[in-house]
Amino acid sequence: MLQEIAIVGIGETPPARRSDKDVRALTVDAVMAALEDAGLKAGDIDGIVSDGVVMPTSVPHEWLAAQLGIDRYFDASMSYAGAGTIGAPLLAQMAIQTGLCRTVLCYFGVDWGTRPGGPYAFHDLYPAKIAFEKPYGFNAQPTYFALFAHRYMHDYGLKLEHLAAIAINQRENSRRTGRGQNMKPMTLDDYFKAPVVADPLRYPDCCLISDGAGAFIMTSKERARDCRKRPIYVKGVGFASERISADDAFTQRANLMTLPSVGAAKAHLERTCGLKLADMDFVELYDCFTVSCLMQLEDLGFCGKGEAGEFVQAGHTRLGGKLPVNTHGGLLSYSYRLAVEHVTEAVRQLRGEAGAVQVKDAELGLVTGLSVPDFAALVLGR
Amino acid sequence: MSVAVEFDKEARFGPEFRGFWDDVRQGRLSFPRCRACGKRHWYPMKRCPHCQAADIAWQPVSGRATLYTWSVVRHPFTEDLKARVPVTIGLVEFADAPGVRLITELIDLKPEEIRIGMQLQAVLPTGNEPCPKIRFRAA
Repeated sequence: MLQEIAIVGIGETPPARRSDKDVRALTVDAVMAALEDAGLKAGDIDGIVSDGVVMPTSVPHEWLAAQLGIDRYFDASMSYAGAGTIGAPLLAQMAIQTGLCRTVLCYFGVDWGTRPGGPYAFHDLYPAKIAFEKPYGFNAQPTYFALFAHRYMHDYGLKLEHLAAIAINQRENSRRTGRGQNMKPMTLDDYFKAPVVADPLRYPDCCLISDGAGAFIMTSKERARDCRKRPIYVKGVGFASERISADDAFTQRANLMTLPSVGAAKAHLERTCGLKLADMDFVELYDCFTVSCLMQLEDLGFCGKGEAGEFVQAGHTRLGGKLPVNTHGGLLSYSYRLAVEHVTEAVRQLRGEAGAVQVKDAELGLVTGLSVPDFAALVLGR
Repeated sequence: MSVAVEFDKEARFGPEFRGFWDDVRQGRLSFPRCRACGKRHWYPMKRCPHCQAADIAWQPVSGRATLYTWSVVRHPFTEDLKARVPVTIGLVEFADAPGVRLITELIDLKPEEIRIGMQLQAVLPTGNEPCPKIRFRAA
């Protein structure tokens, strides 16, 4: 196995629905914070990686490099949104290990809380969606996952109380951080009083919409020793994208009751890094919806098929449980930055900097990014 | 989201889509079937995704379908939805076109009457709209 790389610096803007700053200003703030955290200067960065769709068109690498004073000898993007950010350490690892560059920045930011269109505008990329879905009102992610949820209830006896347990658990974690975007207390009763977005999903089942950015800096194990904070190592990255287009993935896939590419990415990750996901001390799952969080628990093998609802309701995913999930409150309650905030949280956990949501003696953590049909899983360890 | 690559919205009238609308105007609901390997696919593609052959025919179905899953969209995600919500959406399967699922609007059905697995019948549009909606009601 090639030498490991480490995450040596993290930065994020405060969780917020709306910011006075646009996405570029937010991203600059997050990167500056990550540099400060690492004890590095912008000039130490010589490579940039990000997702391949959202960042290249909203905060281009070369714009950020010019703003901060970064000369690049490596520049790459992969996949899109969450799976791209979580997969990006794979690119950094290859570049650092082969000597193309020494220190790599990864970032992601959005101002979808303020700018019109938000995440839904994305669907106009797909001709079949425009022709056969949008006219019916089937053109937003909550509706896609609502269809999954109803069928899941039919096939596996999933109860709304199971989904509520995920939402309530994450709200509680967000409250405990003291800085989450949504820290309003939520009981089961509050959950059922919340308006339905698309049956059976209610507002608390859906991710927030946010303005914010996050960044992390990676370098070799050797150079990591000179940085300010304890290095957190990239133990493995599994990326998979099965043969189905984003047009088809939500409606035409033969088995819609598993998420595409999750099982394949898990297998690839375990094979290449020699670790078992069963050994994780905590997991930060891409929880765009309660139901997608639930399906990942099963598809990643933490529970048998159809068993995640009971697993969550039994409290196993709470802080102090056997598998704490989304310790900061996740996309549902902390902020919606499409997985970069899951990386920063995992690093805080492994450094022992997570404060009121700290998982005791956390040594290994999993972070996932879901960008249907792509999926990436990143194992970090101290 | 500022995606620079705005897809050409006219692509829905592209050659691989045209047979669908032509058949709907003739009162038929049809889906692509590869003449080389005999398999169905949906949505329309340039070549058969199973064997990559380009010889794809539009083969009609009877219009009988089974409900795979459903939702009622209550939040107006777009301007257009503001005047239309709540909208009941179904994803339906066809015994005579395995491998095809169609997004549709379910009509004349209250949410409490909807059952996954229920039998449905297509309601084809009349008129000359370029991309009309295909709705389903209980069979």
